[in-house]
Amino acid sequence: MLTADDLRTVLFTLQVALAGTLLILPPGVAVALALARYRGPGKSVLETVLSLPLVLPPTAVGIALLEAFSGASPLGRWLAERGLEVVFTWKGVLLATSVMSFPLLVRSARTAFEEVDERLVGLARTLGCSPLAAFARVTLPLAWRGILGGTVLAFARALGEFGATIMVAGNIPGRTQTLALAIFHNHQLGRDERAAALAGVTAGLAFTALWTAEWAARRRAAGA
Amino acid sequence: MAVVLALAPALAGDELSVFAAASLADALEEVAPAFVALSGPRPVFNLSGSNDLARQIAAGAPADVFLSADAAQMDVVERAGRVRAADRVELLSNTLAIVVPADSTLALGRPSDLPRAGRLALADPQAVPAGVYARAWLEAQGLWPQLAPRVIPTLNVRAALHAVETGNAEAGIVYRSDARLSRRARVAFEVPREQCPRIVYVVAPVADSPRAGTAAAFVRHLRSPQSSRVFERHGFLVPEAR
Repeated sequence: MLTADDLRTVLFTLQVALAGTLLILPPGVAVALALARYRGPGKSVLETVLSLPLVLPPTAVGIALLEAFSGASPLGRWLAERGLEVVFTWKGVLLATSVMSFPLLVRSARTAFEEVDERLVGLARTLGCSPLAAFARVTLPLAWRGILGGTVLAFARALGEFGATIMVAGNIPGRTQTLALAIFHNHQLGRDERAAALAGVTAGLAFTALWTAEWAARRRAAGA
Repeated sequence: MAVVLALAPALAGDELSVFAAASLADALEEVAPAFVALSGPRPVFNLSGSNDLARQIAAGAPADVFLSADAAQMDVVERAGRVRAADRVELLSNTLAIVVPADSTLALGRPSDLPRAGRLALADPQAVPAGVYARAWLEAQGLWPQLAPRVIPTLNVRAALHAVETGNAEAGIVYRSDARLSRRARVAFEVPREQCPRIVYVVAPVADSPRAGTAAAFVRHLRSPQSSRVFERHGFLVPEAR
């Protein structure tokens, strides 16, 4: 039922979602940890701003990114002069999906870090652990499930992102078209059966990602 | 909640739902007030690629009038039984123009220059009329195989124009009427009329509309000399024989 083009779309979507998730993982964890530990003024404002892409219409994020990165903007021109064109390219897909999924990762990881008992970290430090070692050997193992959960949610969000992607990267079959866009495009062209088949594939991928994460977390929990 | 429900019929009440090709947006806004002054109901425009609109109407969307940028999309609606063949009227014609960003230094003077443009914005050449026309022209010029990989397909013709205006595409093919509107994009060259595929805008009242009478009156208004002048001023061609 799926054509070779459809399979390429599936592969492209997985690649971009995976690359985007890996890309946001280090800064996402760092920001989450900073938010969990930070007690100063403006904390709630900062948290709210970082969560905005979750509640804003994706098209609002899309227009903001488009304004920032389009060929008419200073940043877009600067990047283009260095051979990095974002709008209407796969990099645009990566940018849009990463921005949209970032807050999901940060929220889950932040909650996980906040639940880590700081006395345990302090104990590790008094026993001679460097801050980095205490993070790697105490904080991270305790917060691991939350980070994994957030990562999987971010990945699933990247798989399904539509609004920001279509605005920044367009809907170019074979180049910037992800599964979510292909479903829409096939519907636009009156090919609802193909749209439905692609929707089925997307559901299968999302299910696999969520289920695997649950399974890994449970195994980890049982083993710990 | 109750207030919203009470308001809903009042809001939807005396309005004429006109589904129209995106390229007509500005011209229709200009012909609408004269219609309101004559007969009352305010036309509310749903503007998009004609293929998108045809699908919506075929699926049962509450349209009163359909104004398509090509005959093929009107056929879709006719096959769905929502428009009668006898009610279809050829309203307007148009030609194609090649546009570039206003500050572009690209030398585009004829079709064979087009491969110099990196990315070419078109309304989706698989379905949206403006893109279908542009593709037909490029195919006739023998340029399609070369240009197809560089095409940025957009949802409608105005989106293609916008991609050029923002510099996200180096060139685009749009209707002459769209090209005229833009200050941030300029016409590199127009497709000569003898080369251009025959572009026809077809209008018809939706047969099962509860406002069929008003819909027919609106179609008549669109064909009036007064409206024709507006369309011509916007760069459309009005067929001679009426």
